[in-house]
Amino acid sequence: MITASGITKTYKQRGNMLGARAVPALRGVDFTIEKGGAVTFIGESGCGKTTLGRIVAGLETYDSGDIVIDGTPMSSLKPRHRQPFFRRIQLIHQDPYSALNPTRTIHQTLAAPLALRAKQTGRGKAWMEERARELLALVGIDPGYVLPRYPHQLSGGMRQRVVIARALTVDPEVLVADESVSMIDVSLRLGVLALLKDLRERLDVSVLFITHDIATARYIGGDGELYVIYRGQVVESGPTERVISGPVHPYTQSLLSAIPVLHGVERPGPERVVPTEALNEAHSDTGCLFARRCPFRTDRCEAELPALVSDGEQAHACLHPQRRNVIPVEAVA
Amino acid sequence: MTRTSAPGVRVKDLTVVYKTPAGELPALGGVSLSLAPGTITGIVGESGSGKSTLALSLLNAVQPPGRIKEGSVEIDGLGNVVELTGEELRRARGRQVGYVFQAAQNSLNPLKTVGKQLLDLGRSHDFDDLPALLKDARALLGRMGLDGGRVLDSYQHELSGGMRQRVGIMFALVLNAHLVVLDEPTTALDMITQAAILKIVRDVHHERGLTTLIITHDMGVAAEVTDSLAVMYGGRVVEHGPTTEVLGSPRHPYTKGLIRAIPRLSGDIDEARALPGRPPTLGTIPKQGCVFRERCPMRIAVCDTVDPEPVTRDARTVACHAVGRPATPIVPKEYV
Ligand SMILES: Nc1ncnc2c1ncn2[C@@H]1O[C@H](COP(=O)(O)OP(=O)(O)OP(=O)(O)O)[C@@H](O)[C@H]1O
Ligand SMILES: Nc1ncnc2c1ncn2[C@@H]1O[C@H](COP(=O)(O)OP(=O)(O)OP(=O)(O)O)[C@@H](O)[C@H]1O
Ligand code: SF4
Ligand code: SF4
Ligand SMILES: [Mg+2]
Ligand SMILES: [Mg+2]
Repeated sequence: MITASGITKTYKQRGNMLGARAVPALRGVDFTIEKGGAVTFIGESGCGKTTLGRIVAGLETYDSGDIVIDGTPMSSLKPRHRQPFFRRIQLIHQDPYSALNPTRTIHQTLAAPLALRAKQTGRGKAWMEERARELLALVGIDPGYVLPRYPHQLSGGMRQRVVIARALTVDPEVLVADESVSMIDVSLRLGVLALLKDLRERLDVSVLFITHDIATARYIGGDGELYVIYRGQVVESGPTERVISGPVHPYTQSLLSAIPVLHGVERPGPERVVPTEALNEAHSDTGCLFARRCPFRTDRCEAELPALVSDGEQAHACLHPQRRNVIPVEAVA
Repeated sequence: MTRTSAPGVRVKDLTVVYKTPAGELPALGGVSLSLAPGTITGIVGESGSGKSTLALSLLNAVQPPGRIKEGSVEIDGLGNVVELTGEELRRARGRQVGYVFQAAQNSLNPLKTVGKQLLDLGRSHDFDDLPALLKDARALLGRMGLDGGRVLDSYQHELSGGMRQRVGIMFALVLNAHLVVLDEPTTALDMITQAAILKIVRDVHHERGLTTLIITHDMGVAAEVTDSLAVMYGGRVVEHGPTTEVLGSPRHPYTKGLIRAIPRLSGDIDEARALPGRPPTLGTIPKQGCVFRERCPMRIAVCDTVDPEPVTRDARTVACHAVGRPATPIVPKEYV
């Protein structure tokens, strides 16, 4: 189990004449990933999802807060002693086209991490070969076909599966999948999602899923937790199905309303919410971070920062929470 | 001459081939498709189905190693663009047919600001009133949620992927063309930005009375904005009709499969089913018979030998042996 509490991160951007500009990417984020569980982060571009995923995978530093992995707070360890903990958390790159080295065959790509693993566990070459085949079979591709080939000889879906197989070489407990299906075709996309779901069930691997497309979150983790992130802050969280069918924060409602409606099959939700303006990093940091774009804001929203309050299951940070019916409903034929 | 009304477009028996080590192979195998004046048509289909090749053909812009081998593309006011060359063609592009090519986020000139490139474009089309052009560009960018002045002063590397994509859409619209072709206009965008851009595309389409073609691999995007929807597979248009009808009652087995593969927000998520198999590449498109048969659950004997002709009934065109012949009951003989 992984627990993150109060994670903050501010990037210093080299600005123009005005000197360095501080970009607050995360403003105190808490979440928990259970063993074998599924956690999804959603939010607009630039809200801090990738930053959070990289922090969880130990690939990015953070300014304050702590990450506790299976009872051990990372703050209690020296950086080099954190390594073995973070090795159990593997990031799957969002772009299967650039995640694999084009000059190496898939065999070579898998051999490097497997050699390390073999050394750690005192096993030999034969084990490596066998394990490479086993992992490729596990992710649903034919080892005989894939092993001798280079990435450009494989389809997007196959490449994404190779990337997942490579992440599995170290026997991870958590896979962080950052937009890992948005680059590939619909027909293949569902296959990769099904694979992640299957790995959860068969290997008890937890999945941290980062996406713009909330409907895909239902597919791998309908039973999991959803965190809606806005400008580096969790604004709503709870069981995935519950938040999707009953969102109370206007930002969550905006995200759900923006998902295209399959006219002819569905009708738009009756209370769809559209933000009054586009996301702008320069918007005020006082009061509710969403206030400038929120159709329901009051004077209070601009002065008071809403705290995350929970009913035990679903939490939200809004001064005027109200459940709205925004998701499409099945059209009657 | 610039048209002041929406043109109709008629693509007929279009075959486009690419030269490969294995010879010239067809990416479009005799495609026919009409865009009714004033409508928004969507083209969907998996990677490699020929969507971009078709879009490029509307501008006679297929580049070597590709070439238009056969067929015609009639655009009202322009004639058969397949026969246009040189100066005529250059002038038609941009002024009469506005377009955003796929991966437009990478097609800006890195050495010039967006504004400079806009002025170059205006001059090359003999615009006298360049300040008005800049003003229109700023207004369009503003509608898409960007600070127009800042964007025009920026170089490509100073803009995010999503910002560049909107700059591409601005270029497609700013010269006031009445036929607009958008190839994957929202792929780099998040949902909220995508919804905002799609709304603008639709609003501008209606305000200016355009004929618009949108290419996307995302069925949801097509569903949201188009009036008419064409589904491509293996260089063929396999189904075409009014969008709500194609989505609500798909007839071609491929269209059915694509729709079933979309994870939805409500209902039983496990009803979403992956389409088995993979789309063909140039080299693996079958030379005879139905191009979809390897993945088709409805396949019958004739599918192996005869490429199904598109048949139109009640505003719906479908190319499938198992569809459109209600008189003869179909018994699927083999499943794959
Ligand atoms: N290396 C960096 N240096 C400076 N700023 C950064 C850096 N990485 C990210 N940021 C900024 O931090 C914020 C959060 O970025 P992040 O990549 O986490 O967003 P995201 O939610 O993953 O967005 P997307 O959906 O577009 O992938 C953004 O404002 C971004 O510009
Ligand atoms: N320059 C080229 N040389 C050789 N083959 C090409 C070339 N451009 C495209 N093709 C092939 O032609 C076919 C159709 O390609 P096209 O780009 O039109 O597909 P698409 O439907 O737009 O796909 P995507 O969704 O990936 O953009 C594909 O099999 C592609 O590999
Ligand atoms: S606190 Fe106010 S501004 Fe913020 S989301 Fe709630 S209603 Fe909108
Ligand atoms: S023609 Fe035959 S193989 Fe092709 S889609 Fe129809 S039933 Fe399937
Ligand atoms: Mg990201
Ligand atoms: Mg394309």
